[in-house]
This record gives sequence, C-alpha cells and structure tokens, in this order.
Amino acid sequence: MDFPLLTLIVFLPLLGAAAVALLGNARASAGRAVAAVVAAVDLGLVAWLTARFDVAAGMQFTEIAEWVPQAGITYHLAVDGMSLAMVALSALLTLLAIVASWKTDRNPALWFSMLLLLEVGMNGVFLAMDFVLFYVFWELVLVPMYFLIATWGGPRRQYAAVKFFLYTLFGSVFMLVGIIALYLQTGTFGILEMAGAGLDPSFQWWVFAAFFLGFAVKVPVFPLHTWLPDAHVEAPTAASVLLAGVLLKMGSYGFLRISLPILPDAAAEWSTFIAALAAVSIVYGAAVAFAQTDMKKLVAYSSVSHMGFVMLGIASMTPEGLNGAVAVMFSHGVVTGMLFFLVGMVYDRTHTRMIAEVSGLSSKVPVAAGLMAFASFASLGLPGLSGFVGEFLSLVGAWGSEIPAGWVIVSAVGVLLAAAYMLWLVQRVVLGTPSDAVARIDDLGAREIAVLVPLVALTLIVGVYWDSLLRFTDPAVRAILVTMGGA
Amino acid sequence: MSEFLLLAPEIIVLAGALFALFADRVTHRPSAPAHIGAPLAVVAAAVALVIGTRGGILGGMIALDSVSLFSRVAIALLLAVWLRWVSGRGTGAERPAEAVAFAMLSAVGGMLMVSARDLIVFYISLELSTMPAYILMGYRRADARGLEGALKYFLLSMLTSLVMLYGLSFAYGISGSTSYADLGRLDGGVLGQLAVAFVLVGLFAKLSAAPFHYWTPDAYAGAPASSVAYVSTVPKVAGTVALVQLVAAFGANGATVTGVLVAGSLLSMAIGNLAAYPQTDLRRLMAYSGVAHSGYILLAVAAGGAGGHAAVFYAVAYAVPSMALMLLGAEEGTALDDLGGLAARRPAIAWAAVAWLLSLVGIPPMVGFFGKLSMFTAAVEGGLLWLVLVAVAMSVVSAGYYFRVLRALFFGERLDAGTVAGKPAVAIAFGALTVATLALGVFASGVMDVFGLRF
Repeated sequence: MDFPLLTLIVFLPLLGAAAVALLGNARASAGRAVAAVVAAVDLGLVAWLTARFDVAAGMQFTEIAEWVPQAGITYHLAVDGMSLAMVALSALLTLLAIVASWKTDRNPALWFSMLLLLEVGMNGVFLAMDFVLFYVFWELVLVPMYFLIATWGGPRRQYAAVKFFLYTLFGSVFMLVGIIALYLQTGTFGILEMAGAGLDPSFQWWVFAAFFLGFAVKVPVFPLHTWLPDAHVEAPTAASVLLAGVLLKMGSYGFLRISLPILPDAAAEWSTFIAALAAVSIVYGAAVAFAQTDMKKLVAYSSVSHMGFVMLGIASMTPEGLNGAVAVMFSHGVVTGMLFFLVGMVYDRTHTRMIAEVSGLSSKVPVAAGLMAFASFASLGLPGLSGFVGEFLSLVGAWGSEIPAGWVIVSAVGVLLAAAYMLWLVQRVVLGTPSDAVARIDDLGAREIAVLVPLVALTLIVGVYWDSLLRFTDPAVRAILVTMGGA
Repeated sequence: MSEFLLLAPEIIVLAGALFALFADRVTHRPSAPAHIGAPLAVVAAAVALVIGTRGGILGGMIALDSVSLFSRVAIALLLAVWLRWVSGRGTGAERPAEAVAFAMLSAVGGMLMVSARDLIVFYISLELSTMPAYILMGYRRADARGLEGALKYFLLSMLTSLVMLYGLSFAYGISGSTSYADLGRLDGGVLGQLAVAFVLVGLFAKLSAAPFHYWTPDAYAGAPASSVAYVSTVPKVAGTVALVQLVAAFGANGATVTGVLVAGSLLSMAIGNLAAYPQTDLRRLMAYSGVAHSGYILLAVAAGGAGGHAAVFYAVAYAVPSMALMLLGAEEGTALDDLGGLAARRPAIAWAAVAWLLSLVGIPPMVGFFGKLSMFTAAVEGGLLWLVLVAVAMSVVSAGYYFRVLRALFFGERLDAGTVAGKPAVAIAFGALTVATLALGVFASGVMDVFGLRF
C-alpha cells in the first residue's frame, strides 16, 4: 500500500478533535487554532489529492485491508470524481465553518471538536467502499450534529436535534436491513463488488425500497423532509452550513453510489416515482419558501426545492442528468453555504432573522448586501453562476429520458418559482430604506469576507467554466451508467 | 482428577467467594474481599483462555465449546470489573464483604451453567447463579421497597424455576436421560411439547423476556443500583448461553420452539421498548430496555444457524454498557434528573456514557452495532425478515429513551449535586467498560476469532 492519503483525509480531523477536546475550554484559543490548522491541512490534502487525481482512471487511491474477514467486511477506501467533488466540498465547508464560528465562546472546546468529528463522518461516507464502513461513517455523522444543534441551537434546539437524529436513524436502520439482504445474496459487503451483480429484479425492488428510506430522508425528499426546517431554524450558523452543504448530499450520493449501480432494474422501475417526488419537492419547497417570514427558513425550504433537482437528475439515469445531479449537489453546497453564512452574519448584528425587520442592507452594509444579492442570484440559477449548470443539465437529462414529460415541466416551473422568491427576498432585504434593526450595524469584517470569498470564487468558476467540475464527475457517472448496463 | 483442573476458573472464583466470607475476620478491612476478588476473577478469565475448548468432561456432564469459553471469560471479566468498582465505592452502609461473596458465587453458577451438558448440572448451576442474586437485590434490609422488590423477584423466580424443573422432569421421563445429547429424543407429543414449553418459560423468566418480565422493573427499582448493575447483566449472559444450548438440543421440537421464541421476541421488543419510554428512573428504564434486548436475543436464537453465536455475542455486547450505566446510577443517583449536568461535573464519564448509550442503540462503531449486525444477518438468513423489520423499528424507539438519558447528562441541571470524588478503582472499572464498548466493536473479528465464534 502506498501513502495512505485517503485514511489521512478521513482520520486527521479525528486526531484534531481529540486534541481540541483535551486542550479544553481553559485553552480555548489554542484549541481553536488547532481546529483551524487541522481543517486547513485536511483541505490541503484534498487539494493534493485533486492534483494527483487521474481523471481518466476511475476508482483510484484504493486502500484496502481486512476488517472482519469472517463476514467479508473490509476497510476499503477509494475515490472517483464524484467522491472527490463531495470530499472537497466537505473539507472546504468544514474549514470555513470553523473560521466563521471563530468567536464561539460558549464551550468552544466541544464546539470545535464536534465540527472536526463531523468532518470525519462526512469524508468517510464519501470515500468508504465497504457497506459496513459506509454505515459506520453514515451513523457517526449523527452524533456531532446532534450535539451541535442541541447545545448551541435556538430555543427549541432539543426538539429539533432529537427529531433530526430519530428521523435519520429511522431511515438508516432500514438501510441496514437492505445492506444485510445484499450481503446474504452476494456474500460480500463490498460496494464496488456488488455493482452489476445481476440480482433478481423483485429482490432488487425490496432492497431499493429499504435504501430509499435511508437516502430519501437524508436528501430530504418530500414528504420525508419535515425534520429539515426544524433542524435548520434551530441550528447555529456553522451547523446549518454543514447540514445543508454536505449532510443532505450524503443521501443523494447514496442513490448514485449504491442504489443505481447495484440495483439498476429496481432503479428503472422506481424512476418515475422518484421523478414525481422530485417534481413535488421542487414545487412544494419553492412554494413554501415563498411564504416564509424567516430568512433561514426560506433558505431551508429552498434546499428542499434544490435537492429536488438532484433527485430529478438521478431519476433520469442519463449522463446529462447524473452530471447535473452531482453539479447541483456541489453548487448547492457552495451557494446555500454562502446564504446561511450571510443570514448568520446579519443575525449576529441585528439579532433577528425576520425578513420584515431586516431591510435596506445595501445602503448601510454594501458588502454584505452585495454578497447576499450575489448568493441569491446563484441560488435562483442565473446563467454564469454555478446553480445554473446543474439545474440545466438535470432538466435536459430528464427531458430526454423515460420520465413522463409532465413531471419535467412541473420541475421547470420550479426554476421560475425560485427566481420569484429569491428576487423577492433580495427586494425586501437588500433594497429599500434601512429598518431600525439595520440602522446601526457594521459591514462585514475581514474574517467574514475571507469565509465568503472562496465560495464566491467557486460559484463563478463552476458557473463560467463548467468543465472545471464536469471533467471530474463525467467519467464517474458514465462508469455508473456502464455498470447499470446502459449508455 | 485432572478433568477437575479444567474447572480451575470456577474453582478460583469459588475460592475468592469463600475468602470473602471470612475476610473480615482475617484482614479487618471491609474492602479487602473486593480488592482481592477482582484480580482473582481476571486470573480465572486468563486460565479459562489458556484451557481453551475441550470436548465432554466429567462423563459428558460438562463440555467446553467455543460458546462456553467465550461466555466463561466474559462472565469472569464482568465480575472483575464489578468487583473493581465495588472496591472503590463499596456497597453503602451494608457489609460489602458479603455482597462480594454473593456476586462471586453467582458468577461460579453462571460459569458452570454455560458449560453444562446435563440437566441436573444445568439446574443446580442455575440456582447457584440466581440464589445469591435474590439476596443482592434485597441488600438494603431497612428499605421496605427494596425488600418488596426482592421478595417479588424471589417468589416469581422460584415459581418459574419450579415450572422449569417440572419441564425438565418430563424431559427426563421421555428421553430416559438427563444428558443434553439425548434431548433430541423428545417426541412431538403433548408431554414433549409441555417439557419444551415449561423449560422455555423458566428461561424466559430468567432473561426477563415477555410475558414473564413483569417482576423486573419493580425488583430493579427497589434494589440498590450497584446490585442491579450485576444482576441485570452477568446472569443474563449465562441465561442466554443456556437458552442457545437447550434450544439446539431440543432439535425434534423445532417448530414449537421457534414459534415460542418468535412470539416471545415480538412481545419483548414491543413491550420493553414502549414501556421504557416514559420511565424517569434509570433502574426502571434499564429494566424495560433489558426486556427489549432479551427480545433481540430471542430473535437471534429463533433464527438458528449462526444466530446462537450472535445471541451470545450480543448478550455480552448488551451487558458491558448496561453495567456501566447502572454503576453510574449507583454513584450519581438513579432518577434521570440526578444525572443532570454530569457533563460539566464529570466530563470524561459523561462522554463515556455517550458511547455506552450509542452502543445500546446499536450505532457503529460501538459493540452494540456489531452485535445487532450479526444477529440481524442470522435472522434474515433464517427467514425472519419481518421480525427483523420490527426489531429495527424498535431500535429507533429505543434511541428515543436513551436520548432522554443523554439529554439529562448534557443538558439537564441539578442544583444540589456535588462532584463525586474520583477514585482510581472506579476509573479503572469505567475505563475497562468503555474500552470494551469500543474495542469489542472495532475488533469484533479478532475477538470472534480467538473464541472460534461464527459471524
């Protein structure tokens, strides 16, 4: 085995979390610095991985070792373009979340160690190629997120944190049954080994249902989304960013990495149903976002809508659709991360998230207002910004696929709705005369701008130069389609 | 004579128990028995490992297979941890020396029970393991509630023991032998079925599986938490092994046995988890959660095949964190509110408790997850998919009430709480249980290899 780069990417934050916890609240500034350095080094390792990544080579940097040989359970990490995009997102947003929450003064040791522990789970999910290992990381994510919401959240934080935990646990235990069923059928826990195993279609249907519960709750797909607004509203800013930016992607990643390649016949059978749910999610999320009076809730419901485009792309099972799905996953992580950061920065100053109480940002705090407008335009899918790439490809893929045209048309209406509620948000919050809450606030500081700049840059780069992202994702999604026996 | 040497682990623990009874007179230090008992129990576990597996000994009445090896070692080590904790904290105002002796005698019974291959050896060792437990449960003689609970436990346990004895006598009557090996001769007739049913009734009651669980919450709630920590865990491991071995022996009555096990499993999981939800006392909560975990164990046993090994592994996976939680209750108080703010007062213990609770829910990489994984795998393979689906749904319910404990630890407040002084012996006990919760999970394969268990 070569240098264990992937292991290091996954477990370096664990060492960091332990170090921060041991330093304790008494040496909080040292702990905070350790957290930032570890997250930065981890991001550096991902950058190094990206530089050495061979776009043409498929799965690479494989690390494999026996874990429970009696049951064929292995410690198996590997990376392809899709995993790479997700790990990059996870490492970047973790670092930014740490920097953004630099001034956390309530139990900072726990705060920063939980953020790093969360990164272990997130990185692990995207790199694990063994089902048991995947499940370990999948469940590991729940624990720090529970503490992040329950300790630092809003007034109903306990309720929201437990609801988040129980909903996702409910989905994932059914996924575990699916994993066991697959193991008994194939005799291995290897995700890649199972792909293209030619399983019996009716068996596939049931296993797909089990995985659907696990993944759809996480995405979340309507009507399994009800935990998400509660979790977002109560969660502190950095946790919201990671929840929307990375955790939701674990669900759609599961569909792409597991459900499609391993259960292709069932995926084909389920595709219309998934497309219908996706279309409903898109329109429902957008419609409910319209009605919100709280900025954070608006962004939360817009996430339900955007993740609908991911599901639509997945349901299309075409190269364009799957590329679109991964592109929306990446772009949504960047753009929604930016929106949540901005809402949090405004909230820190005004102590309100109510749209009615925040207006006229542009005349008082032009930098914050400008970035808010930029993020909103990116979120509504303006061409030239990253949001457009994925939504466009998802719709194109869905249109050219077996999905009934009606659902694609309904989904396309969602793009219009997104433009409407986002522009209305910009109009009410950015423009107009400054409200009382806004009248005395200062503009963004250097640290805050530093957090947002990388996200702005990525939004522009991916939006203008699509190939910067698609050259990584395209070979990966084509490999998935090949194992499915398709294109 | 040499065959008796294969029982050296039991003899070592027995010697410790006898020493404990007289230690007061010799050393004049009440904590001496526990101080000496803990290393003796570790030695017993090591000796058991060295002895390894053997076929039938003592005329086939005892056999040391991989399951009995694993459970012997587990029982001895759990006893050692419990004694280590007792050596640090004592058992309150009562005489700790006797408690140590009773626990060690109970462990001897358990260690013999897991190796028994004869109905008489099984029954005597079963009684040896439960009789001291009755006394431990009623250890606070001045506490009326404790005595009531212990009396309830004693009467119901004796009743079910006698029902079981009745079943055993039927089995002897039909097969003409007390050997497990001859139990396969039981026919499917009425008497044979009664024999099987009566024996299962007894074992269900010992494992506090529904519908014979109702004594458990009252008995636990009245007893000292330190006694509950022992009685709710170690005898359960032994009982699970006995259940696995007897069910395997009842080959000819497979259909009846499976039906009873499936029904018991379903009831236990449902009643245990749903009734645990509203509890506010840690002992009652753990009593009902114990009922639920017995349901999971019955599920694995009903599955047959590798399910037996999975059930035994799971019994240990359950015992480790449960004992830790009850010992914590013994230190801090057993009302959930008593645990309030523990994260601020004793952060290390609070975080260890997170690992214990997650293990009980079945979250990886804790041992509870690997226990459930192997059990569910066996059960799906055995055609019990629907029951597994019930079990996984119930796991989510269980997360709800374990979270109430976690919430108390981290987000509750307790105004009158003082910090419990750290003691090395106590730290060792909690440390050992926490390491076991994690390491038995991550290195499950290595552990299973050492003992020759199947996944």
